[in-house]
Amino acid sequence: MRTVSRLALVVVAIVTLATVALSQPAERGVTPTEIVLGTTMPTSGPAAFWGVPISTAMDVWLRLINEQGGIHGRRFRLVVKDDGYLPPRAVANTRELVERDGVFALTSSLGTANVFAARDYVVETQTIWITPLASTDIWAGFRGKKYIFATYPSYIEEGIYLTTYAAQNLKTKTIAVFYQNDLYGQQGLLGVKRGIAKAPGTKLVAQVSYEVTDAEVAAQGQKIKESGADTVILYATPRHGALIVREFAKLGYRPTLVSSFTLTDPAMFALAGEAWNNVHLGAYLTLPGMGDAKVDNVLATLTRAVPALARNPFNANAGVAFIEAFLEGLRRTGPNLTKDRFVTAMESIKNWDGEVVRAVTFAPDRHQGTTRLYMIKAENGRYVRLTDWYNYSPKF
Amino acid sequence: MRLLQYVVGGLTTGSLYALVALGIAMLYRSSRVLNFAHGDLATFATFIALTLLVRRLPFGIAVGASLAAAAALGAAFFFFIIRPAKESTLLGRIVITLGFALLLSGLMQLIWGNETQRFPFPLSDAPVLQFAGVVISQISLGTIVAGVVLMALMYVLVQRTRVGLAMRAVAQNAAAAQALGIPARRIYALTWGLASALGGAAGVLLAPVVYLDPYMMLDPFLKGFAGAVLGGIDSLPGAVLGGFLLGVAETVFAGFVSFKFKTTLAFGIIILVLLVRPEGLLGREYHRRV
Repeated sequence: MRTVSRLALVVVAIVTLATVALSQPAERGVTPTEIVLGTTMPTSGPAAFWGVPISTAMDVWLRLINEQGGIHGRRFRLVVKDDGYLPPRAVANTRELVERDGVFALTSSLGTANVFAARDYVVETQTIWITPLASTDIWAGFRGKKYIFATYPSYIEEGIYLTTYAAQNLKTKTIAVFYQNDLYGQQGLLGVKRGIAKAPGTKLVAQVSYEVTDAEVAAQGQKIKESGADTVILYATPRHGALIVREFAKLGYRPTLVSSFTLTDPAMFALAGEAWNNVHLGAYLTLPGMGDAKVDNVLATLTRAVPALARNPFNANAGVAFIEAFLEGLRRTGPNLTKDRFVTAMESIKNWDGEVVRAVTFAPDRHQGTTRLYMIKAENGRYVRLTDWYNYSPKF
Repeated sequence: MRLLQYVVGGLTTGSLYALVALGIAMLYRSSRVLNFAHGDLATFATFIALTLLVRRLPFGIAVGASLAAAAALGAAFFFFIIRPAKESTLLGRIVITLGFALLLSGLMQLIWGNETQRFPFPLSDAPVLQFAGVVISQISLGTIVAGVVLMALMYVLVQRTRVGLAMRAVAQNAAAAQALGIPARRIYALTWGLASALGGAAGVLLAPVVYLDPYMMLDPFLKGFAGAVLGGIDSLPGAVLGGFLLGVAETVFAGFVSFKFKTTLAFGIIILVLLVRPEGLLGREYHRRV
């Protein structure tokens, strides 16, 4: 009798444990019908120009996928938290997303300084992080990147490219850099310095910084003018980028202007006006209105859902580009979604084209999915493409 | 000439700091409240002006209406929030103004969004004066002139009119002023309204230079506040002087020494001045009653 009782107890225990195990999601943030994603973005403050359209477009795109039934029967829920472009708030938001909201993956997060601040925590918690919007150089040589995948450029590589391009094609001899005094601007500045080392006959004559809270940049404009630089390279927020080119115009100073891709959005024409014409910029995605029907269709789809996105067409499309590879990874993973199966699926992506992002390649030893840039020029209120793709080596 | 160019740049910035400082000092003098909502009120008024300009109203009417709205909002804030809380401590009133600032900021984000926008202005960036390498643009010149005119008007109002006399009387002793028949509450409301309109004017002058978004006044407010403390927060000329000095000091320091520490230096100067003259450059000497 005692044996029977013990046996019954064991059976009950096994059934209970099995029920509990089955009722628990296989992965944090994943149920049979839903995948929870999270991002921390500056939807207020000095970088809202980037954060609002990017996070809005991500949300719109995921909702459209939900309307089509989701992926393998799972619909998406995106939790967006505002960090105001402040690294401490970005870290707090990231912790909340992981520990309280229980996200399966972090999608993006904007700002090299913000991403850098949250980096250790995300790696320690082994959270999937798709395309953190930070210079990809911050991952070079960093351990524990198994769950990090990026389709975002490197500011250092871009700085090298912009500098060597200017030296070879724009008769650049003397360079000034106007940069944000944080990791974003410093990485760009480092790239320009390395580019100068590769471009004999060029030299850096001024490196002038601003703080992200600065309301105006009149003194910076004067200082750069005094340097006599024939070319000025910008690593700035859209507001400060527009302010400095207007300041140059005001001072009657007309250097060759070269800018990071971060100022690619056509909204810059509205902010800087005439002063934005003839600016040369790096680019890493095909821009709307450049003859790519798929890219134009994405923007049309987004603006049908949220008409305001038409004011920031590049940043809106970029929001889609940042999650496309992730969605492809989920499709390849199949219905049995676990983190490790997802990583394997992502690493199987080779030279894959999305609607906006193109030529994405991941591998077990390569989580930097895109490594190419090209040059564009602002002409009469629109951008024209100047070069073919320039490729650089992946660093992680 | 280099120095002169930086000084001119500093004066342009300083005139805006001075306008903000003047509004802060007016309120502090009259009601002993440090209004941390001053910057957000100014931005709110600027957004109203933008909304009217987008609807193709003439610039003067749009700006006039926005300043009137700022004045009404400032006066309403005094009547409905600050006055009922008159028994609260100084710190409590500061927290109230901070709360109002957050409320206004949230409202602006809700109504006008977070986008950075260009503010249409009758003057342009085109240079109007170029002398031996010193350049001043239409917009900079306009900002300095408008700022100085507004400050002069405010001075005349406070020092040379009966209303100004009443404002000064209420600031010195509200109970005595009331006993003499001065409507203290109305004078307080008028002071709050005028100070808010001044802030709105600073916003309208600043927006074409720095672009408009809900956070536009964050830095100018802090600098204007610091300028007011530097010049003497209970002295209107002192606040104006402090604003101009701060603008010139940080621009010259940035141009000749370092951009990274220009704000640090500005506040370093303030600390030094306050160590020597705790009441600020033109403030009245503070005597503790024993």
